[in-house]
Amino acid sequence: MLDFITIVYLVYSFIALYFLFLFIMIYLKNKDKFFTVPKLTKEYSLSIVVPCYNEEESIGGTIEALLNSDYRNLRKIIVVDDCSTDNSYEIIKKYATKYSRVIAVQTPRNSGKASGAKNYGARFVTTELIGFVDADSYPEKHAIRNMIGFFDDPKIAAVTSTVLAKNRYNFIEKLQAIEYKIITFSRKLLGFVDAIYVTPGPLAIYRKKLFDKVGCFDETNMTEDIEITWNFVSHGYKIAMSTLSRVYTVAPDKFKMWYKQRIRWNVGGIQTINKYKSNFMKAGMLGVFILPFFVMSWVIGVVGILFLAYRIIRQAIIYYFSTFYASQAQTAILTLRDINLTPTVLFFFGMALLVLGTAFTLVALSYTKEKGFKKQGIFSFFVYSFVYLLAYPIILVNSAFKYITKTHKW
Amino acid sequence: MLESSKHAFWEALIITVAVFALGIFIGIAYENANANKINSFYSSSEISLIDSLALNNVFQSNAVTCDAFINSSIDFADRIYQEAYTLEQYESAGKLTDSLRLAHTRYDLLRTLLWADMMQIPDKCKTNLSTVVYLYQYDTQDLNQKAEQSVWSQTLFDLKQQQGNHIILIPIAVDSNLSSLNSLTNSFNITKYPVVIIDNNYVLYNITSANNLATYLK
Repeated sequence: MLDFITIVYLVYSFIALYFLFLFIMIYLKNKDKFFTVPKLTKEYSLSIVVPCYNEEESIGGTIEALLNSDYRNLRKIIVVDDCSTDNSYEIIKKYATKYSRVIAVQTPRNSGKASGAKNYGARFVTTELIGFVDADSYPEKHAIRNMIGFFDDPKIAAVTSTVLAKNRYNFIEKLQAIEYKIITFSRKLLGFVDAIYVTPGPLAIYRKKLFDKVGCFDETNMTEDIEITWNFVSHGYKIAMSTLSRVYTVAPDKFKMWYKQRIRWNVGGIQTINKYKSNFMKAGMLGVFILPFFVMSWVIGVVGILFLAYRIIRQAIIYYFSTFYASQAQTAILTLRDINLTPTVLFFFGMALLVLGTAFTLVALSYTKEKGFKKQGIFSFFVYSFVYLLAYPIILVNSAFKYITKTHKW
Repeated sequence: MLESSKHAFWEALIITVAVFALGIFIGIAYENANANKINSFYSSSEISLIDSLALNNVFQSNAVTCDAFINSSIDFADRIYQEAYTLEQYESAGKLTDSLRLAHTRYDLLRTLLWADMMQIPDKCKTNLSTVVYLYQYDTQDLNQKAEQSVWSQTLFDLKQQQGNHIILIPIAVDSNLSSLNSLTNSFNITKYPVVIIDNNYVLYNITSANNLATYLK
């Protein structure tokens, strides 16, 4: 008879193997189409909204990157200052004076969230497409142009891009650089099965009439870019990803900022799950895949960390008692004799997952070659695979706690 | 979505089920191979035990010297101690089958027989050989008891290392539900486990050092 712990491990192994094989299958079927984008048949009119709050160091670079875009029908770059307390608005106004395409606007009062500034900026947009670029993000010259062709398909509501980390000086930035590449690769794979669940803020373009139809960004949600994507998918629309459209964004350079950002992402994720829970297992990719995938990730992460905590606490109690008895017996608590090198079936499953997971990560990294950046080091890769990812369940638990206790902040 | 991509969901499921089933199958085969190895050890040990019992019978008729009988018993005890250690390693690695649980009980029975056999020695031979019987609970969920048993086990191993052939160490799990073992333990009025019985004379409940244990030996 299998014990409970073995059953839990086997269930986890099965689920992990399934998703790994799913991604491998999708990859094998579509690897030739990874970098293909539809030919540009029509130059839809486009406006880009850039929400900005205290970004004096980066906003100029973002505007210049947009001005440098080779998409000819980019009509307006609407930079929305959300009542910054630094010099951001002055910089924006200088660009607006110099370039007719740049429009400087300011919210009547600080909205306290990117979605507020984005929705405010969207009021000034009259073009067929509306794009959003974060004020600390820098799209490449061809990025926007490579996204437009996808809109020839009337079912496409939004097109997302390849988001990469711009800064890679310290260790946390290097780890995020690896993470962003893997997220990009995974998102593209999900795109092949119409299961993209987010259109990240650094660069995303939406069909304006559909953007208005779904009610713009939900300002009560902490991750408006996830929420609006689910909103589109729940209405039967599709999301595409242009792998060739790269945008470099500033990743948090301090652990505290990184942690705060991840908490925000995850609280937003729970808010979105809660909002769309009625779609669970209903027709469409949202109900049959995206929502169950999210919920399962949450359950696995939270149950996993609770389970791990139980095991650690249990072992700590045994060590505590053992120390007490060992001092009485004047003997060692741990000896070489206690090391059991007989492998278990769970060890073999773990090794299979490790090998497949590492192979997947390496393929993902090899797909996003970047100019001007060093390749990630083996040490960063190791820490990312075995330390960084393990921090996620802690973030999940903390996010759930903050969501339940309503202590989350923007 | 492309038609071919749509199939990825069930194709991945089939591959996962196949890989998973293969993994379970290999796991069961691997655990059975371990069980077979232990069973093979056990069969040899069983022969040795019967040989030892036969020797004991011959010994009663004074045809065998004390040294020959004692050396045979020590060899046998050391052998099943090592085999039981291997068994425990395999058991902790066994996740899918219960095949080794039965082997554990059989080893407990062997050791109970050895203990009973050793009880007859003092009457016949004036020897400095001590019998150290360690009774513990195999299936305990009590973390304190688990820790205590683990330290007892290590301490007795230290004692065996110190004393070599001067002691016969017989660890037996008391929850094997063996009537012979129950009868033996009842005769000592044991109130709790783990417990160490030295030379069927000293019943020690409190953990102590190997050096201190040595003072109870002959």
